Amino acid sequence: MKAVFITYNQALTEKVEYMLEKLNIRGFTQFPSVLGTGTKNGEPRMGTHTWPEQNSALITIVDDNMVDVLLEKVQKLDAINYEVGIRAFVWNVEKTV
Amino acid sequence: MSIYGSAVKNPITTIMVFVAVIVFGIYSFVKLPVDFYPEMEFPAIMVFTSYGGANAADVERNISEPLENGLNTVSDLKQIYSTSRDNVSIVTLEFEFGTDLDAAANDVRDALSMYSSALPEEAEDPVIFKFSTNMMPILFFAITANESYAGIENMLDEKIVNPLNRIDGIGAISLVGTPKRQISVDIDPRRMEAYNLSIEQIGGVLRAENLNMPSGNVEMGQMNYPLRVQGEFESSDQIKDIVLGSFQGKTIYLKDVATVNDSIKEMSVDEKINGQQGIRMLVQKKSGANTVKIARDVKKELAKLKKTLPSDVKILTIFDTSEFINHSINNLSKTLLFAFIFVVLVVLFFLGRWRATFVIVLTIPISLIVAFIYLGISGNTINIISLSALSIAIGMVVDDAIVVLENITKHIERGSTPREAAIYATNEVWLAVIATTLTVVAVFFPMTMVSGLAGIMFKQLGWIVTITVVTSTIAAITLTPMLSSKMLRLRSKQKTPGRFSHQRIVVPFLDKIDNFYVKTLNWCLNHKRVVILGAIGTFVLSIVLAVMYVKAEFMPETDQGQISVAIELPAGTRVDETVKIARIIDEYIEREIPEKTLVSTSAGSDDEAGFAALFQKSGSNLINVTIALTTASERERTVFEIADNMRTYLGTFPEIVKYTVSTSDQGMGGSGNTVDVEIYGYNFDETTTFANDVAERVKKLPGARDVSISREKSKPELRILLDQHKMSQNGLNTATVSTIIRNRVVGYTASQFRESGNEYDIVVRFDENFRNSITDIENIAIPTQAGIVRLGEIASIEEFWTPPNVERKRRERIVRVSVTPYKVPLGEMATMIQAEVAKLDKPSGVLVDVGGAYEDFAETFADLGMLLLLSLVLVYLVMASQFESLKMPFIIMASIPFAFTGVILALLITNTTLSIIAALGAIMLVGIVVKNAIVLIDYINLMRDRGYELDEAIKISGRSRLRPVLMTTATTILGMLPLALSKGEGSEIWSPMGISVIGGLAFSTIVTMVIVPVIYRVVVRRVESRKVKETEELEFMEA
Repeated sequence: MKAVFITYNQALTEKVEYMLEKLNIRGFTQFPSVLGTGTKNGEPRMGTHTWPEQNSALITIVDDNMVDVLLEKVQKLDAINYEVGIRAFVWNVEKTV
Repeated sequence: MSIYGSAVKNPITTIMVFVAVIVFGIYSFVKLPVDFYPEMEFPAIMVFTSYGGANAADVERNISEPLENGLNTVSDLKQIYSTSRDNVSIVTLEFEFGTDLDAAANDVRDALSMYSSALPEEAEDPVIFKFSTNMMPILFFAITANESYAGIENMLDEKIVNPLNRIDGIGAISLVGTPKRQISVDIDPRRMEAYNLSIEQIGGVLRAENLNMPSGNVEMGQMNYPLRVQGEFESSDQIKDIVLGSFQGKTIYLKDVATVNDSIKEMSVDEKINGQQGIRMLVQKKSGANTVKIARDVKKELAKLKKTLPSDVKILTIFDTSEFINHSINNLSKTLLFAFIFVVLVVLFFLGRWRATFVIVLTIPISLIVAFIYLGISGNTINIISLSALSIAIGMVVDDAIVVLENITKHIERGSTPREAAIYATNEVWLAVIATTLTVVAVFFPMTMVSGLAGIMFKQLGWIVTITVVTSTIAAITLTPMLSSKMLRLRSKQKTPGRFSHQRIVVPFLDKIDNFYVKTLNWCLNHKRVVILGAIGTFVLSIVLAVMYVKAEFMPETDQGQISVAIELPAGTRVDETVKIARIIDEYIEREIPEKTLVSTSAGSDDEAGFAALFQKSGSNLINVTIALTTASERERTVFEIADNMRTYLGTFPEIVKYTVSTSDQGMGGSGNTVDVEIYGYNFDETTTFANDVAERVKKLPGARDVSISREKSKPELRILLDQHKMSQNGLNTATVSTIIRNRVVGYTASQFRESGNEYDIVVRFDENFRNSITDIENIAIPTQAGIVRLGEIASIEEFWTPPNVERKRRERIVRVSVTPYKVPLGEMATMIQAEVAKLDKPSGVLVDVGGAYEDFAETFADLGMLLLLSLVLVYLVMASQFESLKMPFIIMASIPFAFTGVILALLITNTTLSIIAALGAIMLVGIVVKNAIVLIDYINLMRDRGYELDEAIKISGRSRLRPVLMTTATTILGMLPLALSKGEGSEIWSPMGISVIGGLAFSTIVTMVIVPVIYRVVVRRVESRKVKETEELEFMEA
């Protein structure tokens, strides 16, 4: 089991949800409004007058074999327009109840 | 969920809400009455008191003065003035605009009940009368006839007036100048006296003979027959054969002492329409009724009724207020349509996309239609003010939608789905959109609170623009995103755009403008001092130009295609003489004014005009001419030029004492465009002489027309001074003698002749040849017990001169000298007159004041000044909170002076005067102009926050914001262009507003884009103090 943390521009919400649905990933936790900025040249998404855009984020716990499939789709989504931006980070799930 | 989110996610609901708005709008629109101006009650109440037998001075002392003192305490009273004439006093109470007249009338009634006991017993109870614009006739017809002229009165009553009265909304229909049939028995006094008869005896015989009487019943056999004496005259021919009695054994018939004429009553008024005998018919509407609808109904009904009249009776329209209203409203509607087309074209030009254009343009009808709902709910009308307000709004309502749509497009082009783009893009800009709308509201909302005359006009304008702009903002953050999510889609980048595509033609052109602007901006940033000094210089120069060349006036005069001429001949002129002059003037009009469509002349006065005579001066020496002209677009000369020629012509008559030629009848508040010199003082002779001096001097001023003095010339009267002593010797008293004189001169109404249900007076009096000289009057025989005495034996007849009216204002006697300026602005005329009056030697105890329309003018401009100040303060407040800065608003407001410079230049170039309408345009600019600067400054701030260096930020922002600024400016300017250019009926009123807004906006936009960044560069330090402070507080990070 791996945890995949995806942050993306709010404008991609529908596409992300569609992606999860198509990959049959049912369980996820969504943070509809998060703020942040990219490490290298990503534009800040602060929800302010200066930087009005915002991001959303979601965490989904998937089987190990799903991780690559998911990351591949995320990369494709990002390729549509790098300005909009979507990132995914993966880490281990130690325990669950 | 946010409002725009819900709107996008529930498209059906959104559409339904707006459809509901449109349906309500159309419903209100259909029901709205059409009128020229917003309804305005001129807030005045008149109190009439008649005091029979008193002359003007008596009436003043005994009625007007006590009433004025008593009524002076009524609340909200602005001014009190009175006119005292022979037998009647009219006290007028003028209230502040917006006073509830019903409440005021009650106050007046209460006050009167307290003070009426102080009035003389012979005076009748005062009557309260509310003045209203509804009393102005809305239709004016001329009726001419040849053969049918004699019996026309009854025919018109039956066949025209009564059926028309049944139309809904008609107040009153009155006929002026109808001939009245009368059977006159003209006595030869010599013969009458020879037969020992008197007028009273003859009258008595006629009355006794003209009689039907039931005389009991007779029972015969089984029947009961009523008896009846049938003595009534069956034809007027019978009358001359009546037996009066016998004299020396000979039977005397009426024809032996008199001639009997069954003809038209001698009239003291002569009505001619296009040179033919005529009658005038006036139609008044009920309060609040729809002028246009009533006029249409009346005309339709009249067309039907005409067919029932004999063929020689013709009905012509002298004037029809609804026609002017209709033309003006149609004109404005056309203007609105052109504005709409222009706005659509501008949006299409900048965006180059049909779908986007459609989404934006859809906000126009929705926003405008809400204005009709407002008008319907508030009980207003569609009028030139409300329609021009829409014209102003049309270019502004698209602005918000443009901003929202631009941002949505940006997101779609970055790859978002239209749905998401619509929600998130709107989220980014909705606050900014509301803030810019607030600045516009900050200017237009205070207009709804202006008081006075200006308030009535601006209230609607303020509300309509506020409501439409707010609606447009609501539509921009709900309907626009919703439609964008449905209609916009990602454009596939065409590899090879077509030869004539938007991409190949417009875009490179716009790019060129962008590049040119950035170069200019660069230069300016390097030459800050030159630019700022140059700007200040331009502003100062424009102010100097304004002071020197721009003329101020109250309201632009409109060419309504109608001239009213009032001519006064020396007091006491006989009707016949007056008619002669009237014929000469008719000929002049026939010869010199080919533009006329109808001429109606009335000479003398209708003695039975009754109530109406209180409003209009009447007398045998007056001529009134109304000339209707073809529509303004069909003729070369304006109505003002024709009127001025007419004045020159009338000036050549030595017989004419006074004349006025006026070109308007729908003046605001009825005061027209005059400057009045008000001369207060108790002494009649002093003030009259002084008024004459003033008038003489004023007449010599350039552009002074229709100079008139309100105190009428003293008129001659013949007074019969009875000798009490001689009267009592003959057993007579004043009452008998005066009745006897009256019966012989005016006539004794002996009886009525009845024919087919109508009654006609039979009047016995002296033949005209025996009552037209002082000798004839002196020869009147007065029967006494001892035979007859001549009037000359018991009385002397002398000629006296009496002033016919006494006017008062502020409880003092007043004489007004009023002047109509021609091609000279009101303000300038007032200044010149003040200078002239100052040169004159003023008698002590005389007070002089300059007022009239000029007073309203000064008051209104003061109101506008306050409005400007209020708008500036409000705009500042809105911007300061928007930028969270006290300094930024000042940078933005630097663009406002240049708006005024633009207004001044536009007025000068188009040779337009600064009327309140043009001034209003200038005030509106405060809200419109700052919008551009806000957009620019906001973006510069944004760029700086995003880390760009100051100069860099300014240049980037300039390049990026130029197009949106040009686009919103172009929509506003082109939206008003048809307004400014329109030439038809009524356009004189609103075109100055268009001119001033266009001039101001165009000029200030150009200047704003240069001067505002330069000032910004000068005022703002490289690093803001806030940041400096922050670094101090966060020193812990420093090594």
